[in-house]
Amino acid sequence: MIKTQQVIKKVTTSEGELQILQPISFDVKAGETIAIVGASGSGKSTLLGLLAGLDQVSGGEIYLDGEALHKMNEEQRAQLRGAKVGFIFQSFMLVQSLTALENVMLPAEIAGLDNPKQKALTILEQVGLAHRAHHYPNQLSGGEQQRVAIARAFISRPKILFADEPTGNLDAANSERVEKLLFELNREANTTLVLVTHDDELAGKCQRQLRMQAGELTEVTAVDDSSARKAV
Amino acid sequence: MSVASRLAWRLFRHEARRGELTIILFAIVLSVAAVLSLSLFSERLQEALTAKSAEFIAADRVLDSRNEKANPAWLEKAQSLGLQTASQNYTSSMAFAGENMQLVDVRAASEGFPLKGKIKIADEPFSPGEETATLPAANEAWVNSRLFQDLGITLGDSIEVGDARFTVTKALISVPDEGFSLFSTNPKVLIRKSAFADAGISGPGSRVTYSYFFTGDEAQLEEFYDWLRPQLNREVHRWQSVNDDDSAVGRSVNRAGQYFLLASLLAIVLACVSIGVAAQRYSQRHYDPVAIFKTLGASQAMVQKIYLLQISFISVAGILLGLVLGFGFQQAVVWALQNRIEVSLDIWHVRPVLIAIFTGAVCAVLFSLYPLLKLFSVPPLRVLRRDLGANMSARVIQYLAAASAIWLLMWAYSGNVKISAILFASGVLLVAVLMVVTMLLIRLGRKLGQGRMGAWQLAWARISRRAMDNSVQLISFAVTIMLLLVVLVMRNDMIKQWQDQLPQGTPNYFITNITDSQKQALENAFSAEQVTLDGFYPVVRGRFVAVNGEQVRSEVRKEKTGEEEQDGGRQQRSGLGREANLTWSDSLQTDNRIVEGQWLDTPLADGKFGVSVESGVAERLDIKLGDVLTFNIGSEVVDAEVSSLREVNWQTMQPNFFFVLEPVAMQQFMPTYISSFYLAAEDKPKLASLLRPFANVTLFDVDAQINQLRDIVDQVSAAVEFILVLVLAAGSLVLIAQVQASMDERQQELAILRTLGAKGSLIRASVLFEFLIIGAVAGLMAALANEVALGLLQRQVFDMQAQLHGEYWLLAPIVGAMIVGLLGAAGCWRLLRLNTAALLRQLI
Repeated sequence: MIKTQQVIKKVTTSEGELQILQPISFDVKAGETIAIVGASGSGKSTLLGLLAGLDQVSGGEIYLDGEALHKMNEEQRAQLRGAKVGFIFQSFMLVQSLTALENVMLPAEIAGLDNPKQKALTILEQVGLAHRAHHYPNQLSGGEQQRVAIARAFISRPKILFADEPTGNLDAANSERVEKLLFELNREANTTLVLVTHDDELAGKCQRQLRMQAGELTEVTAVDDSSARKAV
Repeated sequence: MSVASRLAWRLFRHEARRGELTIILFAIVLSVAAVLSLSLFSERLQEALTAKSAEFIAADRVLDSRNEKANPAWLEKAQSLGLQTASQNYTSSMAFAGENMQLVDVRAASEGFPLKGKIKIADEPFSPGEETATLPAANEAWVNSRLFQDLGITLGDSIEVGDARFTVTKALISVPDEGFSLFSTNPKVLIRKSAFADAGISGPGSRVTYSYFFTGDEAQLEEFYDWLRPQLNREVHRWQSVNDDDSAVGRSVNRAGQYFLLASLLAIVLACVSIGVAAQRYSQRHYDPVAIFKTLGASQAMVQKIYLLQISFISVAGILLGLVLGFGFQQAVVWALQNRIEVSLDIWHVRPVLIAIFTGAVCAVLFSLYPLLKLFSVPPLRVLRRDLGANMSARVIQYLAAASAIWLLMWAYSGNVKISAILFASGVLLVAVLMVVTMLLIRLGRKLGQGRMGAWQLAWARISRRAMDNSVQLISFAVTIMLLLVVLVMRNDMIKQWQDQLPQGTPNYFITNITDSQKQALENAFSAEQVTLDGFYPVVRGRFVAVNGEQVRSEVRKEKTGEEEQDGGRQQRSGLGREANLTWSDSLQTDNRIVEGQWLDTPLADGKFGVSVESGVAERLDIKLGDVLTFNIGSEVVDAEVSSLREVNWQTMQPNFFFVLEPVAMQQFMPTYISSFYLAAEDKPKLASLLRPFANVTLFDVDAQINQLRDIVDQVSAAVEFILVLVLAAGSLVLIAQVQASMDERQQELAILRTLGAKGSLIRASVLFEFLIIGAVAGLMAALANEVALGLLQRQVFDMQAQLHGEYWLLAPIVGAMIVGLLGAAGCWRLLRLNTAALLRQLI
């Protein structure tokens, strides 16, 4: 589902060019769940941004569901995201001036799917927030907001779901509930999940874990190869 | 409905309901309301005042035709265009009553005269009189109060004019087109036009002016004049309109019109500033939603469509609300003014509505364009990296775009390059100076912001850190304050000048034909009644015949000669065309100013006599300093060398002269004298007994004209004051919007300070100090720019003497600091009322 080859990322700073990702190559199969773990500033979110097509690689290749992401312009990447990708963020990233229902409908509407409202209501029901459908994000608790975000992520049945620290802003009880929901829905939809976290426990719930350290990625576990720690 | 339209509408609906659009909506509403109320009110008032001043010429347009009747086809054409017409013949003739006779000005008016204004008549001479809509009957005449004295007649007596006999049935107190003519000493006799021919006074050799009056729509009048102009003969015809009225009233009305225009322009600039501030804020608030839309797969085109549509919804809503509010406000002003302004303000105009809509739309589009372009460039990656803002940054382009938009709007609206250029240039100057000052302040802030963190240090530190934002804010505050100052100070100066023009006790009567021997007796008689005479001016009539020995063309006209002397009589070009009133004096009259040469107290070499010439007539007759002018006075010839050119204020109700000679040149002539005095209305009955012993002395009553002028000036002043209040209100609202917007930007910092345990009093004091500093600097800069703008405006546009306004150099910074400081403190207070958790949550 995801294939990367020698992906690097450089940024220009006031002190010159800085390479924040060393050449990275790895594959993710369809339906796989993988976690990218690492300390703050290790480059995991940068990698997520590149994999999801939110940012442009400085070198190397990324294929998403067989499509060459690295060759696409912003418009084409947006189209690809709309068609195949779902997102969950640490800070929820809900549109504050839209209700929970409208936030959930958003990807479906943008992708031009039928009955977005009905679909949104169904999925809100699944995440247990049907009764809060007409509430604005600032009227919801953090846990509820993240459940709305999860509903939004799944409404268009994406092939790949990217989650950036999905429980980073939540307390233990809410974290557990959100995690449960995330994995449940993921299983049901058979979505490929790429999750970025610094929480080892959450990472442990994924089939594979990759560790990011100073821009270098190493495989911690592998499904078909139980030998630990293999550089990718 | 497409996805983008649906989303745009949804966002608009929710954001409007949640109050998130308040600032930008408010800015548009304000701009539309201000422009509509100002321009609608000024247009209505302008029209009403023009209508009022039309009374001075008894119509909207007048065609004077000398010694020949106008082609009847002209009147038919005017009527076919829907214009109302009337006519009047003027001539001088002798009036007889028994043994007595007097030269009179005969006015023979047609039915319908006057088209504008009213004739005033009374049953008793020298009484205030009442308006009438009728004319004398065919064999009747209404005559000036003076003629009752001159001819020794009473109401019901008959007078003979030419071959006709008329019964005097009323005292004629005033006619609207009387003008102010001190030297027109003949009393008036008003008869019907149909009786004019019977009198046989228009035969060969007589001089008759045929006047034709026209009233109607401006467009019809213009069409008629365009048609008529090629057929007019400059030697015979003279076309007059209220607008080219160079009298005191005409100038006051024109000046007021320019003031309204200025105020409207400033309102537009204020609107632009507030929309600019609001649009920037609006754009920043939408960085996250744009990043989310893009992340979720929305194309660039879809994002653009969503926000362009949303701005359109906001603009339409703002314009509609603004129109309602503006109309309501304007109606309230009209209602409040109805007791102070006699003229009817219930005329409806479409132009101001279109201007307001255009302004709202142009402001909304042009000023939100750059913030929107920035918004569109927000990268989707912002969802992961919150510090990422818009990719685009080109402040220079923003400033250029904003400046060109303001300039275009001002120019398109006013059609007056001068006013627009002056305001624009001073605005640009202000912005440039402010940039420098802000940079200096920021440096200063770095120094003052160091050390232990007190409120003062926090304030300075914030000013220095938020350098760019503060410079924008400082500029918008200063521009707002400057615009308010311009409107305020301009109003003060203008009203003061109007009042100076006609101070209480301005002479309302003139007496002429006083002989030398009567001077003392007259003075005694008047002082016995506690009436003060304002000095005696000697007058000798003479004919101006040559310049440097070269004869000038002479064409004697008696009618309205005095009037022309008073209003400048600038239509004639060849020679003076009539006898001149010559005076002499050692001292320069008040309100006269030497523009070239030396006053007569400096004797000329070679025993030549000096003459001081009014600069307007000098220009018209091509008279230069050092030219020798020749006058025929009786049988004598007097040569005098032009020793000075004088500027005369024709707006004062005082006797003014084209030629003032050196006293020694005139000592051989026996002059008559002119004097003037002020008499209160209740003392009017004293006049008859006061003047009885001086039968030859002629009284000239300008009370009616002075009151008419004062009325108009009072009304214009009242209107100007309301306009000022309107602009001040608009300006204050803009200031509030600006402070509100900047408080939002400070919210994050306040939340952090609060979280770290800073006391409310420290935060409040630091914000107060910050705004006090910004307000004071903005006020000072505004006072500086105001001085430049006012100086240019007064000199170049308003034809006034420019002066410095030192008091505002102190007042503006203090008031600026107070207002901005208080508004800042109020905004801060609102934020501090929220608890820290709520404050932080708003930031997420």
